[in-house]
Amino acid sequence: MAKTDNGIRIFQGLLILGNVVIGMCGIALTAECIFFVSDSYGLYPLLKATENDDIYAAAWIGIFVGFALLALSILGIIGVMKSNKTLLLVYIILMLITYAFEMASCITAATHRDFLTPNLFLKQMLERYENLDVDNNNDKWMNKGVTDTWDKLMLQNKCCGVNGALDWQNYTSAFRVTHSDADYPWPRKCCVLDAQGSPVSLDGCKLGVQGFYNSNGCYDVISGPMNRQAWGVSWFGFAILCWTFCVLLGTMFYWSRIEY
Amino acid sequence: ALLPYVPLVPPGALPGKVTATTFTLERPRCVFDRLANASDAVWLAVAFADASTTFKNPTSSTDVPPYEGLPTARAYMTLETAAAAYSCSAPGPAVLRVGVDTACDGRAPCNGPLPSPGPYRVKFLVMGCHGPKAETRWSEPILLRRARSPSTIDPAPARRSS
Repeated sequence: MAKTDNGIRIFQGLLILGNVVIGMCGIALTAECIFFVSDSYGLYPLLKATENDDIYAAAWIGIFVGFALLALSILGIIGVMKSNKTLLLVYIILMLITYAFEMASCITAATHRDFLTPNLFLKQMLERYENLDVDNNNDKWMNKGVTDTWDKLMLQNKCCGVNGALDWQNYTSAFRVTHSDADYPWPRKCCVLDAQGSPVSLDGCKLGVQGFYNSNGCYDVISGPMNRQAWGVSWFGFAILCWTFCVLLGTMFYWSRIEY
Repeated sequence: ALLPYVPLVPPGALPGKVTATTFTLERPRCVFDRLANASDAVWLAVAFADASTTFKNPTSSTDVPPYEGLPTARAYMTLETAAAAYSCSAPGPAVLRVGVDTACDGRAPCNGPLPSPGPYRVKFLVMGCHGPKAETRWSEPILLRRARSPSTIDPAPARRSS
């Protein structure tokens, strides 16, 4: 009949449209997660040393889920156009598996964002910065990563410590073991440096005179990119999952109504 | 002679003015001009706060308690400077830092880092050829920073965010 025929056509059209959107979102998710994994801010060594780099794991899963969504959406479009029960069954099963992976990635990214507190980075900085006297090769490599990252952070962003330069005074640290408090109240990288890389006024820096040392903390520079990454992966992923859920339901309904 | 000047830590907001092993004092200006000649030396006497009442001014420049004797004598003298450096018109930094010399090679006077948080009291002593000529009053007790261990830091998150 013309009416049911039209109804079927519209339903097919909607499913195809839904799959096109899923495909495009898959590409976008892959691109977003590749951007995060490429670590343009150079903060990965800090996360690695906390042994809690799950937001990177979530981004890696996001890359592969994005590809899978793209491939499955093409399969879905073909299956709907041909009304082929086998193709659609394969599509539904694989889509459910992809759905589970993406759900895991989103929840991981969303919950692990909360672990990135200032105290976490403060403790890590105090224990690992310039701490070269370790036996374990793994620790030595992590400490080197933390030291190089902090040096780069302090130089490029003109900041000192996590909350401020006084972090180095309020707590003892591995840095303090090798650098005496009288000569280095805080690392030299906290000083305002001239073009050659030496402090403009070493005495001014040691005293903490405004203009000769960097008083603000680096926490915003660290947490900003990480929070954006975690937020981006998790909430875009949740949005994709909502849309995919509707399309999957429609596809299952369509599959159940196909007659051989 | 007892001068009414009281040495003090600069009141401004300088995070490095008191650290775990050093502290800073305002540079006294015009304080010693009346009593000191050009050949006199102004010393800084540093003593533990509870040992300041029993501190005896040395009778001559050779009798000055050294930095290395701080643990036993509970006091030492350092920062030997010509009196002209503290005159009204002398240029120079506005502060004196005590405890900055990490490379003392045994030659007195040594301005070495302080071994414990204190508290300490300081006074300036003008030494002439024949012994002490003038002194300022003792400062208020200066307590150095005590740093905590990083193991006291709790990295656990406070609350759930979205």
